[in-house]
Parts: sequence; structure tokens; C-alpha cells
Amino acid sequence: MGVTELLSQYGDKYIQALFTTWKLTALAFAIAFVIGVLVTVMRVSPLKPLRVVGDIYVHIFRNIPGASLLIILVYALPYLNVVWSYFTCVLIAVSLIPAAFCSEYLMAGINTIDIGQIEAARSIGMTFTQVISKVVIPQALRASVLPLTNLLVATMLTTALASQVPLNPRDLTGLVAHINTHAVGGITAFVISAALYCATAVVIGQIGNRIDRKVRILR
Amino acid sequence: MEKQSKPNTPEQTPVIELRHVDKHYGQLHVLKDINLSVKKGEVVVIIGPSGSGKSTLCRTINRMETINSGEILIDGTAIPQEGKELARLRAQVGMVFQSFNLFAHKTILDNVTLGPTDVLHVPKKEAREEAIKLLKRVGVDTQAAKLPAQLSGGQQQRVAIARSLAMHPKAILFDEPTSALDPEMIGEVLDVMTELAKEGMTMVVVTHEMNFARRVADRVIFMDGGAIIEENTPEEFFTHPNTQRAQDFLNSIKNH
Repeated sequence: MGVTELLSQYGDKYIQALFTTWKLTALAFAIAFVIGVLVTVMRVSPLKPLRVVGDIYVHIFRNIPGASLLIILVYALPYLNVVWSYFTCVLIAVSLIPAAFCSEYLMAGINTIDIGQIEAARSIGMTFTQVISKVVIPQALRASVLPLTNLLVATMLTTALASQVPLNPRDLTGLVAHINTHAVGGITAFVISAALYCATAVVIGQIGNRIDRKVRILR
Repeated sequence: MEKQSKPNTPEQTPVIELRHVDKHYGQLHVLKDINLSVKKGEVVVIIGPSGSGKSTLCRTINRMETINSGEILIDGTAIPQEGKELARLRAQVGMVFQSFNLFAHKTILDNVTLGPTDVLHVPKKEAREEAIKLLKRVGVDTQAAKLPAQLSGGQQQRVAIARSLAMHPKAILFDEPTSALDPEMIGEVLDVMTELAKEGMTMVVVTHEMNFARRVADRVIFMDGGAIIEENTPEEFFTHPNTQRAQDFLNSIKNH
């Protein structure tokens, strides 16, 4: 099938799939971001048990293949009487892994902050929570806009894992698999999805660059 | 008899008091049995060769550095080990650092208001008004909307002083405040400090600026090898110090 034929037959489905991918990406990134910030706060906290838990989180989820995690969630958890929808399983899998990377980028951002600023914050009587929320995290975030932009793109690409489970409506990669089992879409079906991934990534990249220019800290 | 009759009024409680303070970095004994008392309105200048422990001493006063033994009292209250109590006590003691340490992501004005609004819970408007007054006082009010990186070192250090003042501290610790400055900017910072001293601020100043020490100090503390070697008035100390080590130190400076 050619591009025109594919689009006339599956155009609606591509749009639907694009929205599914966007939805998964946005939700996963939001969850990953929240977990990433929390894990990072744990990793810089003065309490050793918290630091250890934070480090363990990163070591596990940075190093586990997404497909394995998804298989565990879909096929292993039911043995523990935990049954989640396919969408939830995919969402969790594609959130937990980027969260570990998010924390790594924030830690790198924190390392750009001069320890003197933290001492200055303490010297005016700020508590640990205030130092973290008013001085450390805002600066770490500003320093991590570009890596986090890359992470958002990577999260989007990771949502292709959804093609491994029968999701309805399908995501961009899942749709290609679907088309190719029902008709002969061939490589063209992939190319359309790829173009949509690329277009999204370019937009994300542009927005990221713009935010970075705006919030970057002069030193 | 006369000693006993004196009531324990706040004026007589030293603002800062260190009793038998010792600190070790592993094998290194960096502070040796330090006893120091700073009265309200007093300006104490700590001088000594590098590695003598003077910066460390200054930093122990608000517990930026921990100590191994001894006692540190602020206004008669022992400084807490950690947590919210420590934070509360730190809010009462200002600190000005060698490298300014302004918050890089905040404007000059926000650098000054952050402590009052977030720690002292002063209303935003009030904190802004006072911050502008303080910035005017240190001569950088025209820079209020800029970010720290857009200011010169001397301007940044004056902002750091304003940031300390905004907390209405009982005392301010200056840890080599001019050591990171270009020579032409040292004067503007020392002028602000001299002004503060005249207004009665209690100050502990670690510095290499001997002229400042001579002009402004009520008392000079000379440290070497982690111990206080000599405590004297500036006139006495700079003309005829009591100890040979202080004399050697002063000679070594003059030879430059």
C-alpha cells in the first residue's frame, strides 16, 4: 500500500494513535518528573536511609529494560492478585524508568550549584526543606532543562512499548503492528508513524530550547 | 562583693561566647581550647597566617562547622546541634562569605527579601520596602532588578551584607569578605563594614586587611596553629604585640 492509500484507510486511526502516544507521553513524563524530584530530594537528604532508598530506586529503574518491566507488570503481578489495565501497566512502566533518569539529571543540576549558596541559605536560618525547595531544586531545574527535554523525547519513544500489549486505542507503534497483521502496510506504515514521532520530537525540542534560553542561570 | 551585686542584665550577657572549643579534622587539631567572648556592639577582628584556623573559628559560631568539644553560646543560649532550632538560631547571626554566595537564580532584591519573607514571615510588601532601603544603604539600589552575575564582586558583596542585615541579626560574621575581590573593590566593601561598626553592629571579622583592623576593631585576636595566641587592642597589637609569634607575623606582612 502507498502512503495515500494507507492514510485514506487508516488516517483516523493514525490520529487516534498519535493522541494515545501523546497522552501516554504527557502522563508518563508528569509522573516521572514528580517521582524524579522526590527521589532526588531523598538522595540529598541528611537522613541516610532516605538516601539509600533513593539510590536503590535509581539503580533499579535505570538498569531494567522497559520490556521486562512491562512483562512483570502485565504477567507477574496477577499472581499477586494485582491486576491492572494494560494502559495502567504501560503507563507505570514508561514512568518509573524515566523517573530514574530524571533524578540523575537533577543530581547533575544540583552539582552545578556552589555549596556556598547552600551555606548562605542556611546562614539566614532556612531549614533543610526551605533550602531544597527555594535554592537547590529551582536551580537544578533551570540547569536541567535541556536534559529533561531529551528525557521527554526519550519517554515518548519508550511509549512504543505499548505495542506489546493489546491497547485500545493503539499507540503509534501498536497501530503499525495492527495494520501489518490485517493488511500489507509494509515499511510505509512504519514511515508514517516515524514521521509523527519525529514531528512531535522536533516540537518538543524547540519548546525545550526556548525554555532553556529563558530560565538559564547566568554565572 | 561587688561582682556578686551585679545583676545578670542582657547588656552583660555576651552576644557570642565560646568556651573551651576544640575541633579536629582527623589527626589535625584545627581549634585548640578556644575561649572568646564578644559583647554587644563590639567589633572583633581575627587575624593570623593562612591555616591558623581563623576561618574555621568564624564558621563554628553559627555551626557551619561542627565542633568536637566545648560550648558556643549566642546571647546566652547554647547553639543547638541541628534541625529547626539550629535554623532559628542561625537566623539571628548573619554571615558574609568570601565568595558572596548570592542566590544565582534570584534578583538582587529577591536575594535580600528571601530570608525575611520565608524565615521571619514578614509580609512581602514590607520586606521589599526594607530591602530597598538596605540596598540604598549599601549603595546598590539601582541594581535591584538584576541578577547576581550581572554585578561586580564589590557590588555582590555589598548585597550579601544587605541580605544579612535584612534578618536584623544580633551579630554578623565576616569570613574574609574582601579576599575574593579585585583591589579596587575592597574599599567600597570595607566602607560599608566601617559604617556598620560605627552604628553599633556586633561583628566578628576574619580578614587580612590590617588597616581595617587597626581603624575599626575594638579588639584584635591573633591566631596561629589553631589557638588564640594573643588578644589585644589594635593600637597595642600593631605597635608592640605581646607575643613573638604575633611580632613575626606582623614583620612578615611588612616585608611585602
